[in-house]
Amino acid sequence: MASENAHTDLVDRDRWIDGSLVALCLGSLAVVVGGGLVQVSFGAFSMSVVEAWRAVFDPAVLLDRRVWQAFLLGGELPELSNRTLIVWNIRLPRVFVAVLVGANLAVSGAIFQAVTRNELASPFILGVSSGAGLMILLTLVVFSGLAAILPLIAAVGGAAAFLVVYAIAWKNGTSPMRLVLAGVIVGTVFGSLQTAFFFFADDIGVVQSAIAWTTGSLTGTDWEQVRMALPWTVVATALALVGSRQLNVLLLGESTATSLGMNVEKVRFALSGVAVLAAAASIAVAGIVGFVGLIVPHMVRSLVGSDYKQLVVGCLFAGPALMVAADVGARLGLQLLVGSSAQVPVGIVTGLVGGPYFLYLMRKQGNLGEL
Amino acid sequence: MSDARRDGAASTFVGEALVVGYPAAEEPVVDGESIRVPPGDVTALVGPNGSGKSTLLKGLATQLPLDAGAVLLDGREVHDFETKELARTLGVLSQENVSPDSITVEELVGHGRYPHRGFFESLTDADRAAIERAIDLAGIDDLRGREVGSLSGGQRQLVWIAMALAQDTDVLLLDEPTTFLDLHHQLEVMAIVETLRDESDVTVVVVLHDLDQAARYADHMIALDDGSVYATGSPSAVVTEALLADVFGIEATVSEGRYGPRITPMEPLHGGDIGSR
Repeated sequence: MASENAHTDLVDRDRWIDGSLVALCLGSLAVVVGGGLVQVSFGAFSMSVVEAWRAVFDPAVLLDRRVWQAFLLGGELPELSNRTLIVWNIRLPRVFVAVLVGANLAVSGAIFQAVTRNELASPFILGVSSGAGLMILLTLVVFSGLAAILPLIAAVGGAAAFLVVYAIAWKNGTSPMRLVLAGVIVGTVFGSLQTAFFFFADDIGVVQSAIAWTTGSLTGTDWEQVRMALPWTVVATALALVGSRQLNVLLLGESTATSLGMNVEKVRFALSGVAVLAAAASIAVAGIVGFVGLIVPHMVRSLVGSDYKQLVVGCLFAGPALMVAADVGARLGLQLLVGSSAQVPVGIVTGLVGGPYFLYLMRKQGNLGEL
Repeated sequence: MSDARRDGAASTFVGEALVVGYPAAEEPVVDGESIRVPPGDVTALVGPNGSGKSTLLKGLATQLPLDAGAVLLDGREVHDFETKELARTLGVLSQENVSPDSITVEELVGHGRYPHRGFFESLTDADRAAIERAIDLAGIDDLRGREVGSLSGGQRQLVWIAMALAQDTDVLLLDEPTTFLDLHHQLEVMAIVETLRDESDVTVVVVLHDLDQAARYADHMIALDDGSVYATGSPSAVVTEALLADVFGIEATVSEGRYGPRITPMEPLHGGDIGSR
């Protein structure tokens, strides 16, 4: 058969590289680089774009192993020029944290959407964020000694909240609507508990930092947050990529997945764990940033299709793009609009962007929800 | 391929004293029926709406838990199989299937290889060969690059059957594969079943709504009435005027046609005329 070879090639090609995915990744990369350029160039300490970029490419940083050791493992920084210090120690880490947070939230949302076969699923809507947020507040206000293992605590809180949501929604299986409703219920209760903790905080500083946590903020993040989130991000991302074939089979529905020999409950549980880990890693460094986990997977899906190998890769680029761009707005928006140097939490910006996008989806798609 | 297939022998598939029902319902739908499926043949499960044919198939397919009884595959309890091992031996195609719209036909058929692949394994040559065979057998070569969302219902059904074929199982259970399809695609589906019957050792159990179709394509028929086996045997032994009156509640004549017994329905029977209902 003459066409035999062509066919084998088609099967062979694992559809990793696809035109729209490449375009999406390059576009996202451009946004991240552009946003990063804006972030390092503007701020209280003014420098020109050229000066800022010279600082970014300062060989004293790029080529010095000790500097990277200090960045990635902690410890003393060697002597650096003022500009380099501001760019590398204050402004760039914030961009890096935004990248990590965006990637984590997007991947987490993408996994939850496959596990629940529901386009509306996200760490935000399924209660994971509120559970993790509650545990973070509890730690900040009551058990301040445990702050060192905040990501772990956030992960436990997120996982617990997701289990509660799943249990509430379960009635001979779950449906998209039941899961979303259960998520709203759990989110409301945990939200109230979070508010309650504000009353137990006697220090206005604690309240302010608590508000920053529950809205989602990148203000004041530096290398410590990068060090905190990076390992979890790598693990969660790797697991998401490894699990992409399982996610694809889950999309075929429970009965098909079972008849293909998948242990659906086990796989769902494990993948939810990965999603909770990714969400928790982001929440631990930036608080609860809403909507990123919901809209990024959706945007990527509408561009590259539903294959999870591509979707996860797309999310790894588009999530950071959205986060970095939103953080530019959060950090410099007020300066541009009213000339004030105040910053708003980035969660406010993602909410302002995400809400209308959600509304647009609702209007455009009659049967939003089922994936 | 299991050892049985390598020996050239078809798999035996037996349901013993099956009690199957739905968790929400009090009474089981199928209460203590035994089913023997001739190895390597096509067996059709027929019966009117609500007679329990799909329920029985789901019980055989382990999609519904058995309240009692056992399903044996080559003499071994199906529940003793490891999940992937079972999926390599027993394939099931449900009545309703969902997939993302943007998945391509080839990718969907490729998912049929899931039970043959390890967690980290990519497609092997054997996997690709099985996918090619399935696509070829289902006659969907021209659709392979299309997105499933762009296909008609009939084309989609052929793709799902191809996925089940790619699983390369010894036993294949099909739940009403022709219902809701236009005549052309009904015949396409049944042509696949015919090929499996004539050219492979696969043991096929198919739930069919259409008695003529069942009589034409099956080697063996099992007629269900209200959750019990009413008759079992060759098409000409099962499809009789008495069965049509008792089980289906119609007055009809059965004649010998080109493809086995042929039914000419005449009148619905009412009330007391109908045997067990």
